[in-house]
Amino acid sequence: MEGFIATGLIGISLGSQYTLLALGFTLIFGILGVVNFAHGGFYVMGGYVAYYCSAVLGLPYVVALLIALAATFVLGWLFEVLILERVIDDHQATLMVTMGFYLVLATGILVIFGAESPEFSFPISGVWRVGDVYFPYANMVVLGACLAAIVFVFWLVYRTNVGRSLRAMAEDRTVASALGMPTKILFPFAFALATGLAGLTGALVTPILALAPHVGDPVLAFSFLTVILGGLGSVTGATIAAFIVGLIEAYAAVYLGGSKGALTLFVLVLVILVIRPQGLMGKEVRRA
Amino acid sequence: MLSIRDLHVAYGGTRAVDGLDLDVAAGQTVLLIGANGAGKSSLINAVIGLVSSARGQITFEGRNISGLSSDARARLGIGYSPEGRRVFPSMSVKDNVLSGAATKSQREQSERWDQLVASFPFLAERQAQPAGQLSGGQQQLVAIARAMSGTPRLLLLDEPFLGLAPVWIQQISTAVRQMQEQGIAILMTEQMARPALKIAHYGHVMRSGQIRRSGTTDEIKGAALAEEYL
Repeated sequence: MEGFIATGLIGISLGSQYTLLALGFTLIFGILGVVNFAHGGFYVMGGYVAYYCSAVLGLPYVVALLIALAATFVLGWLFEVLILERVIDDHQATLMVTMGFYLVLATGILVIFGAESPEFSFPISGVWRVGDVYFPYANMVVLGACLAAIVFVFWLVYRTNVGRSLRAMAEDRTVASALGMPTKILFPFAFALATGLAGLTGALVTPILALAPHVGDPVLAFSFLTVILGGLGSVTGATIAAFIVGLIEAYAAVYLGGSKGALTLFVLVLVILVIRPQGLMGKEVRRA
Repeated sequence: MLSIRDLHVAYGGTRAVDGLDLDVAAGQTVLLIGANGAGKSSLINAVIGLVSSARGQITFEGRNISGLSSDARARLGIGYSPEGRRVFPSMSVKDNVLSGAATKSQREQSERWDQLVASFPFLAERQAQPAGQLSGGQQQLVAIARAMSGTPRLLLLDEPFLGLAPVWIQQISTAVRQMQEQGIAILMTEQMARPALKIAHYGHVMRSGQIRRSGTTDEIKGAALAEEYL
């Protein structure tokens, strides 16, 4: 029973990390109509910026986190304005451009830092233990930070003028613009918010998991899977799906083993999509 | 208030608007009637800045807005209710309406909401409902309230009666009259000329991207050319 609870805590922790990644991914898809293949690249970049600031420059880890968030936010903004916006109406071009940018990011990191995983560990160690239930303090801190970021994103999207405009743009970009919403600012903001979240997640998670130039590949795959399961463009759906994926991954890894765990996850996702092709929270709305 | 000179809109080789001149004075409701493809919606879209191929001069309150983006034009005080309503279907009625006042403060939005609810009480009853679940007439009122929430001085209404039952046409006509009482200038397109002529001050008959006849609504009603649209 204790093992079951501990695994659940790990699953929730994983779910919160996937939520941050999936929220950014679904925001970009919902608002800009772009499948961002560079998403994993911003996760890796966040990890390396945090590593460089804390391990090389000796800055406090919290400062390194904020710098990683700011760096990925700014790079995302510049990428949207300078490159993506020019091809935004051509879906194939956006796929090529984001995929190309991911390769540039990953290769750049490889050239600068090398292929070896750097020594980058979480500044807090130790385990919280109650009976036989244990939960590493590092995971606890990451879970808290991810939950705080998730609450912030939900507040921004559902409780502010900016969020209302972002949702309106996701539904009808042309009409949103004709109603006075400043799309030239909101599009890069949405993209930068998403890449900043990916960078923050990378900075939080890579000290616990692994940091290497290629760790963005599975991040992209899981973000994609989560967003499709939740319903494309649905912020709430992505959040629910991320926790489902995190819990399934944790329990399947413990009780079924690594490869069977991934198989279980994909089979369950397929079953859910057969029952609800629009995803968990994807809605069919009557257009009168 | 709105002055259009020598406006041309083309899609590929097809001319949708062909050298059109038009004026809307403050407080005036100007109606454009014409069959499908006459160029009415292209004209409205050119005024709000949704047509990149538009050529000519569009002046709003003395300022040339031809080179401005659509969002910049809206922020100058031009409200837009598009053909086919195009409400944001997953968003609540209240969020739809207030999305037209995106650049205003929370307090201004709250005051504007109260004013609009006073004019359209059904907004309060349905405020939490997704707009995509409303009937066509209700969606049209939401689209008009959305355009009005930004307190525009000029309102563009593109075919507000399209596909609606007479009871809803009556309600929307009432809403337009309320806006007229507030001194808002309105440029409106409609294929259903008979109810539209009852609420307009001035009318133009469009065909093949050009204005073929202009006059007061009584003159337009009496004109043989307009008969085919009545």
